[in-house]
Amino acid sequence: MKTKLFAAAVAAAAAFAGSAFAQDKPVVKLGYQLPLTGNTAQYGQDFRTAAEIALARFNSAGKPFKVEIVFEDSRSDAKEGVAIARKFVDDKAIVGVLGDFTSGVSMASAQVYKEAGMPQLSQTASHPDYAKISPWQFRNITTQAQEGPYNADWMKARGYKKVAIIAEQTDWGQTVVSNFADEFKKAGGQVVFSEFFNRGLADFRPLIAKIAREKPDAIYTGFFYEDAAQFLKQMKQLGVTIPVHSTSAAYNQQLIQLAGADAEGMHLTATFLPSNPDPKVQDFVTAWKAKSNGVDPGQFPAQAFDAVNIMLAAVERASPNPTREKVRDELAKTKAFPGVTGETTFGPDREPAKKLAKTVVRNGQFVAVEN
Amino acid sequence: MDFYLQQLAIGLSVGMTYALIAIGFTLIFGVLNVVNFAHGEVYTIGAFAGLLVVTTFAPPLLAVLLAVLAVGAFVGVGLERLAFRPFRRFSDEASLKSRAMRESTLMSSLALSIIAREALEIAFGSRFQSVPVAAMINQPIALGPVTITNGDLIILGVAALMLIGLQYVLRHTQVGLSIRAVSNNPLGAKYVGVDVDRTIVWTFAVGSMLGAVAGVLVGFYYGAIFANMGFTPGVKAFVAMVMGGLSSIPGAVVCALLLGVCESLSTAFVSSVWSDMVAYGFLIVTLIFFPRGIFGGARERV
Repeated sequence: MKTKLFAAAVAAAAAFAGSAFAQDKPVVKLGYQLPLTGNTAQYGQDFRTAAEIALARFNSAGKPFKVEIVFEDSRSDAKEGVAIARKFVDDKAIVGVLGDFTSGVSMASAQVYKEAGMPQLSQTASHPDYAKISPWQFRNITTQAQEGPYNADWMKARGYKKVAIIAEQTDWGQTVVSNFADEFKKAGGQVVFSEFFNRGLADFRPLIAKIAREKPDAIYTGFFYEDAAQFLKQMKQLGVTIPVHSTSAAYNQQLIQLAGADAEGMHLTATFLPSNPDPKVQDFVTAWKAKSNGVDPGQFPAQAFDAVNIMLAAVERASPNPTREKVRDELAKTKAFPGVTGETTFGPDREPAKKLAKTVVRNGQFVAVEN
Repeated sequence: MDFYLQQLAIGLSVGMTYALIAIGFTLIFGVLNVVNFAHGEVYTIGAFAGLLVVTTFAPPLLAVLLAVLAVGAFVGVGLERLAFRPFRRFSDEASLKSRAMRESTLMSSLALSIIAREALEIAFGSRFQSVPVAAMINQPIALGPVTITNGDLIILGVAALMLIGLQYVLRHTQVGLSIRAVSNNPLGAKYVGVDVDRTIVWTFAVGSMLGAVAGVLVGFYYGAIFANMGFTPGVKAFVAMVMGGLSSIPGAVVCALLLGVCESLSTAFVSSVWSDMVAYGFLIVTLIFFPRGIFGGARERV
């Protein structure tokens, strides 16, 4: 008993000494809410890896202060997200928040940040209403309001007249369908089929058979890479050979690993290509590969990497003694921020302007195409 | 018409995958009268074990199945030891009849399933594992207007083998007879000299072997192996088991097929978002109108 007590005392003393040592430099805290367990954990875990790369670089760059990121697991559940938001708001040391992954959870948490006055920057929430919630919400991903019409025009230019649309049944999926369909109809095209499915659907075949019955020229899809891989494999399985177009959400190296040859010929838009020779991109790709068994990063980790860097830059500009208000104002001033997903400038609506690239899967690679 | 035939074929193939899982699930329920929540994880572990074997040795499918059978038996015995045996440490009549003692294993098996799932997630991450193309069993086979795959045939064969083999074991072997005795009346079985503990261990070994094989087959069929893969099929197998009358294995198989076909055909008429409702709808209808399962009547257990 005595030795245990003694050990505890030593540990406490050590912890105290440790914290005193760390306080040599002032510490600024950021919150990051993201799914670390549950069905979407793979995305959140990637965000954390990307954030750790960005943070380690920032802290080793000899800045006059240190930044800490508090990661909280939201499991992509809106209730959890709100609880985390309250926790972050109550922690006076936190001056800015990153996340969440899905639009739904980001928007639920945004209500808390709006009331409390906490800047929130999501790397992936692409629902059109997210940034409209209050002046405290920012994002650095292109929304479907930009991507949908872009894809509609692209598919029209490729000569497709009758298109079937499917998307996952989420806030985001709804915007995929509506933004695309509006523009495609305006351009004189016809949407012959439109349906939603639950994310993580094991068997797409009943849906594929239903699409094939409508005989569309092409299929436009709003899903993430895992669903995309299942969909493409099962299309091949049923012998359906309709061309597939998708959004940047399906853009991930894993798609090609999972679907193999069945992914060939899929068209999609992207803002980040790991093969981009830009030294910033190559630098990130190298750091990422070292942390994840040599796998290329997808677009989402790149988004997270940029989001963390944009936030860190805003905190730095707001220093010394950054407050939530100052960080928000500095975030709003972000202009031509050089990231791995291109330059980011926040407009007065706190939406990013980014450049989209057309890509196709060819010989097991995403390659840029003109049309 | 071709469209509906194709949907029917897809439905049967989906139903078959549910049936594969439901067989082991129902066997364990029949003996213990309590749901083994960890069955979905046994299924997942089977799939991961199969994937590891394939990526390291690339053996033929039959060898993979044998390896997975061994893993399943091992996992089943371990599961029984950790989550079920501790709650049978009193063997007096009151404890054996006590619902609380029995039902506490609901919680312990659930706890173990969470631990297993999170451990897999830590070890492998929660993303889909990539399955080597050569190991996949989804080569299309065109049969007139309908397309099926070689996986459908393999799964049909294995499910039939499981069902027939299990009936043989239950009716004609010492182990099978004691499993039936324990499932009918554990106390009675004990009094006539059946080793109840041993029988339960056997049941877990056999049930988990079937579960693990189901996992690897379905995993290779869809090419989707991930830490959370056991949840949805577990729910579907549970519904099939309830519909089939809780402890009837042939009943569960028939209901699993019915469930798959209804889900697939429902997609033909309503949005696929609603097809998940089919299972829950069946569950509610069964519980309200057919509390003894849709085949009704008194049936022999297992």
